[in-house]
Amino acid sequence: MSMAKTSNRSSARRALDQVAWRLLPLVPFALVLAAWIAYWTIMRPPPATLPAVPDVVAVLWELAAKGELATHVAASLWRLLLGVLLGATSGVILGFIVGLNRSVSEFISPLVVFFNAISGIVWLPLVIGWLGIGTALAVFLIWNTVFFIVFQNTVLGVQLVPQIYEQGVQALGGGRWETIRSVILPGALPYILTGLRSGLGFGWRALIAAELVGATTGLGQMIFGATEYHRSDIIIGGCLIIGVIAIAMDRWLLLPIEQRTIERWGLVFDARKEE
Amino acid sequence: MSASAARSAQGLGDHRKGLAAGRLLRDLKILLPFAVLVAVWWAIYLSVDFSPQVLVSPLAVWHAFAHLVSHGVMAEYANTSLRMIGLAALLSLLVGVPMGFAVGINRYAAHALEGFLRFLQGISGIAWLPLAIIWFGFTHTTTLVIVIYTLIVPIVFNTMIGVRAIPEAYTLALRSLGASRLRLVKDVYLPGALPSIVVGLRLGMGYGWRALIAAEMLVRKGGLGDLIFGARTFGQIDRIITGMIVIGCLYVVVDRLIIQPIENLTIARWGVLRQ
Repeated sequence: MSMAKTSNRSSARRALDQVAWRLLPLVPFALVLAAWIAYWTIMRPPPATLPAVPDVVAVLWELAAKGELATHVAASLWRLLLGVLLGATSGVILGFIVGLNRSVSEFISPLVVFFNAISGIVWLPLVIGWLGIGTALAVFLIWNTVFFIVFQNTVLGVQLVPQIYEQGVQALGGGRWETIRSVILPGALPYILTGLRSGLGFGWRALIAAELVGATTGLGQMIFGATEYHRSDIIIGGCLIIGVIAIAMDRWLLLPIEQRTIERWGLVFDARKEE
Repeated sequence: MSASAARSAQGLGDHRKGLAAGRLLRDLKILLPFAVLVAVWWAIYLSVDFSPQVLVSPLAVWHAFAHLVSHGVMAEYANTSLRMIGLAALLSLLVGVPMGFAVGINRYAAHALEGFLRFLQGISGIAWLPLAIIWFGFTHTTTLVIVIYTLIVPIVFNTMIGVRAIPEAYTLALRSLGASRLRLVKDVYLPGALPSIVVGLRLGMGYGWRALIAAEMLVRKGGLGDLIFGARTFGQIDRIITGMIVIGCLYVVVDRLIIQPIENLTIARWGVLRQ
């Protein structure tokens, strides 16, 4: 239907439509910005409650120039990297061991359900006493969050590989290791990556929450420290940075990896074709 | 299947007994891993001489639990948290689902808002906590705002996705038969998007429950997060672990006994099985 419509249009018109379609996602951001500016010009709220738009830009610029912003971002990203690496590695390895062993997986699954329910920030009060305030605490909380999500998805992925493939490799003389490497690993990979992607989302949240109280550096600490001085410009600026980093990680790191594996090994589902 | 058929042939009394025995066995299977865990914990506790600031025995935790329950403290803290998450879920559904419909029905609105919603999802609710504290002080309003923000974004997003995924033919068919907008919502959009809405609710509850605990830790106006974080200040490890267990159990109960059955029901009734 849309094919017929577009073929009637001139190519210039089509190009214009394409540009408009591309720019459309910017509209909500522009609207929020406009509302913010309008509210600020009319109501003149105290800057501690709602800063002016230029103030937020200025404070971000200032923090960036002083190198403070880079320190906080680097601290947060370093913790995230450590936590996610630990969580993903331990989750995948244990996930394979458990996924390949039905009796073990049945035994521990109630434990996993329970510990998944308290994964992340709930551990903070207990673990502060063990590890103190700082990187170790944040890394523990991220590991804890990422591990359970990756682990559950790995177990699921391993268990869902159709047995006929395993038997196929075995019938051709493949050993246990060969089966795992060439059948179960690629079969489970899409699930592992889905787990990793959602684990990263939860991990980033856990990190920010952990840094609010359990750190002396990092983006979470930057915005929570600003509360004391009612510096809402730093808070809003920090929130924007947090959002941009989350989007960037998801879009440029995880989405491409996930799509490539799913296209290569998994269920082919291309959402873009629907448009 | 055949086993239960054979059992029912033996008469109703035997059948009931068999079912009860099966349920008992299943309960034991769920409880056994926890018994093993407690045994390991106890063994570690006995073999290493921990200070009571680091780790306490399971018995001490049981005493703390009995104490908190008998004094009505646990009920009060749990009640605060459950009421908050319940209220937030209800409000988020009431506002989020219609918003998701409104946006999802329009191709342009959906395209425009998708990126914005992803961005909002990237800024976790807890990151807005410092700003909310400045705006609303250390009050329940702050907690509620944070939890609603956390819950509503995945609900709007998934409702929108759900509506977008409904084949256009259904809408066109009803329209050509003269159905009104309301009729379309009731007979096409709601049933078609329901599985997706429930997925959004479940994800939102996962994020929201953690955001709630984290917010309660910082706002300190009651709730289970306040309970465990307050116990930290006095080094009451027994209370912290008690609180963690209650938080885990409540989440499992809400997730497994309320949300998952709804999800299974909607997917079985209306949805295409995902993947």
